Amino acid sequence: MGIIEISEITVFRGRNKVLENFSLSVNGGEVVCLAGENGCGKSTVIEAASGLISLENGSTKIRGQLIRDSDGRRGRTTFGLCLQDDCVMGDELVGERIMDSAMKNFDVSPLLRDWNLQHREHDRVAMLSGGQRRKVAAISGIVPALTSNEPLAILLDEPDSGLDNKSTELLSKNLRNLAAGGHAILVASHDSEIIKNANRVIRFPFDVEEQNPPEGKFMSIETGSTRKPLIGHRLNLRTLCGLSNNGIAGLLTLGAMIALFDVSGLSGKTQIGFIMAPALAAGLCGNPINRLLMENRSHAWWITKSPILPNSIFHSLILYLAITLMAAIVSDNVVVAVIICGGILGVFTEMTMSIITQSTLNLSRPNAVMIRLLTPILILPWAVVVDNLTT
Amino acid sequence: MNIKGEVVVLVGLAGASLTLCLAFLWVPSVSTVAFSSPESQRIFYWHVPSAWAAMMANAMLFVGSTVWFFKRKDWAWRLHVASSEAALATGLMVIWSGCIWGTAEWGVPWDWTDVRLNTFAMLTLLALFIVLGRRSQPDGVETRDTFCTFGMYGFILVPFTYISTRLWQIRHPGPVMATSKGSIDWDMRIVLYCGALSFLAIISGYIISGMRLAQLEMRLEKIQTKYDEVTK
Repeated sequence: MGIIEISEITVFRGRNKVLENFSLSVNGGEVVCLAGENGCGKSTVIEAASGLISLENGSTKIRGQLIRDSDGRRGRTTFGLCLQDDCVMGDELVGERIMDSAMKNFDVSPLLRDWNLQHREHDRVAMLSGGQRRKVAAISGIVPALTSNEPLAILLDEPDSGLDNKSTELLSKNLRNLAAGGHAILVASHDSEIIKNANRVIRFPFDVEEQNPPEGKFMSIETGSTRKPLIGHRLNLRTLCGLSNNGIAGLLTLGAMIALFDVSGLSGKTQIGFIMAPALAAGLCGNPINRLLMENRSHAWWITKSPILPNSIFHSLILYLAITLMAAIVSDNVVVAVIICGGILGVFTEMTMSIITQSTLNLSRPNAVMIRLLTPILILPWAVVVDNLTT
Repeated sequence: MNIKGEVVVLVGLAGASLTLCLAFLWVPSVSTVAFSSPESQRIFYWHVPSAWAAMMANAMLFVGSTVWFFKRKDWAWRLHVASSEAALATGLMVIWSGCIWGTAEWGVPWDWTDVRLNTFAMLTLLALFIVLGRRSQPDGVETRDTFCTFGMYGFILVPFTYISTRLWQIRHPGPVMATSKGSIDWDMRIVLYCGALSFLAIISGYIISGMRLAQLEMRLEKIQTKYDEVTK
């Protein structure tokens, strides 16, 4: 059984059947290249193998772990992935992204030097040129294997697009070296250099060509401790997106209410409602990291790593507690239980918004869906909490 | 021409009009002690049947969504399309009539702390979300799967809405039919049943014609795609 196992998959894209009962097995030490015209289904194979698209039939497995099947079952394991979109958020740092991709701490400088990116290690990805960003995406795809002594799967979708000749040659060489280390590589490409270095070339629709490429030499990168997946919190600290989205909404609500009501005259339910309203308004803005994840389709890459997308929920809790405390101080009714309830309510609202938003990410136009229509459901828990705190 | 659905809708509309006439002209008035605004109670004969119809439409939405999701039947997708529109129409009717009645009876059109009001509003918003959202996306498996997921999970709100006045009666009245506290007067019941049958006919007819319309749209799209291929 191969490291990458695609069994009889049938996939629809829109209303078109792109793949029908397609099977492919990629063994350790093998580079398999998918070649063919645009729209022939190369990207669909890569995305299906990584579990990003739903299958009408069949299943995909990596290292024996089910990734996705037609019954909707999903699983995850470590593998490298580079999609056609760069899938890198503009506010990630180059070095940080590569370590996040490997899920290990290590010195990224030698690796970046090879790719002529050493001077960009601490830069935000948004500051890079298109070609440099593509290099970061390609390195992110191969680095899990570069830092692993166990054979891994690497899925690359046109990693060469936008790369100069030198970088494409380096990439091809890297693929051969990874194959020498026992890793299984599935790559979709039009590039002759990459095609030349593949053990097997599948030309759509499904002419298979065996080749004898030169042998590579694998040397794994020495790594340190396992990296904590706190990208959401790091991004929030770097961009202050939680404060600028959710925080401002909460503060504006508080300000508007102070302007409208005689705060000193509030009592009972109205007063508790006043204290809790800013946390609700702030929570309704949803997970602030979601906005960043929409950039370059980053959410698709992260969802292959973990079922929970990057978020900054602990920072959000602090923010909602602070906003509720401010409202409590303004209304001259500082009660610890009310402030804690405000914090929890804000986090609950944000998480619900986040789940609702994520459920539409598979659509071809996720931004066109009026997801906010579903937000009134969150007024009920708020009203119930206010009611209970009053009584 | 196949117009069965339209005929059923017309019959339903006639029945609904009859219900309205009977509600205003024939049904006895309710007690002036129990109600703040007894005359506005007559909205009940439209409000309750449209709510039952909305629940039926949501149940159909659930069936269509589930069968499409698990069995990939085209008729199920068409049922999803038609019943989401029927659920939206009847849901809006319930909310609108409820707000008018609430304003007259309670002095406020809405209460954000009442579970029944909120869960029903949520069901209607879900139908609105499905109808508008679906129109914003190109048709395809991803689109169908996503909206069917909402159709399936949204159905949780139906039993929740049904039992809400039994568990947390806040402002919305509890059940009036066949409860341990007795039931409503027979004259009232006849009009209520007339309304229920009429609204059932309206949504059934709407779903039948809606499904046919969805089928025609799918056929048209296929023909357009074929035309595009031929003229390429």
